[in-house]
Amino acid sequence: MHAARNISLCTKDCVCLFVCPTGATDTENGQIDFAKCQDGCRLCVDACPSHAIYLVPSVYPPPQEKSEAVRKSLFALAKSKAGQERLARSLAEASDDLLFKQLMHAIATSNRVLAEDCYREAGYILPQSEAVTSWLNQLLIEHETDKDFPSDAVRTLLEKL
Amino acid sequence: MEDVMRQLSAEELGALCSNLQKACNKQLRSEEAALFGTLAAYYDKQRTNEKVQDYQRLLAAINADLSNGYAEANNAAEKANDRGAKRALLWGEKASKLLKALMVRYEKQGSALLENTNVWVCEICGFIYVGDNPPSLCPICKVPSFKIHPIQKEAL
Repeated sequence: MHAARNISLCTKDCVCLFVCPTGATDTENGQIDFAKCQDGCRLCVDACPSHAIYLVPSVYPPPQEKSEAVRKSLFALAKSKAGQERLARSLAEASDDLLFKQLMHAIATSNRVLAEDCYREAGYILPQSEAVTSWLNQLLIEHETDKDFPSDAVRTLLEKL
Repeated sequence: MEDVMRQLSAEELGALCSNLQKACNKQLRSEEAALFGTLAAYYDKQRTNEKVQDYQRLLAAINADLSNGYAEANNAAEKANDRGAKRALLWGEKASKLLKALMVRYEKQGSALLENTNVWVCEICGFIYVGDNPPSLCPICKVPSFKIHPIQKEAL
């Protein structure tokens, strides 16, 4: 568990710099140096007068179980939303009207968000979950001979998650 | 479940991957987020364009969600007492109604609807809005307006 800074809440009182035993809070990029941060220390979290620092867990509990009927109906909705994103992008690409293109890109973007939210509630909320890692493993087998598929990215993900 | 995953199309897999990319970003795991981003980009590239461009087909798809998709999913969520799913469906149905309303308005008014103003989309719930400035809170998910983004006119 390490500390992280929400820079939009930070009021630059710098108390986190005073209390940090390792200097992890004092960086040039506004974020805390995770490599230096002590696991679960939380001195800066408690000292910050603006509540701009919080703890990021390194381990998460398994997500809530989803019923098969919920999963199925959310997958069906996600399929519909993904299809609408594709239709909207096709319509945008085929048009020369900048305003129409803008509208179609907005509709496509909205549908992407809607599809993502369906997958989240269908059991694919946590990247570290068994549902995700077993699916990633399945992808590696399916795309074994596919040169364009980013197999290395998937392997690195499986190592890191 | 594995069989269901095997049947997903490129357009569905792109959204699944970008969802996991966002989740990694929220955990401040930027390296993992970038890797899911690579996977999402692979699937987005695989997605083929529809040959027949039909505004009415898009409208019909929204109507189908509003008349069947949400009712069925709500039914399943109700039976399972799945409040998380109910939340997603509540937001999604509201956003879909606004998408439909906007498409119907565009049919009537054409480009006049969008001239000299902006189009906004909430990155959290998909809320879509035409106006000079976004509302200070998203009316659907109540997130502050810095998460409601303008869609550029020359977007890719």
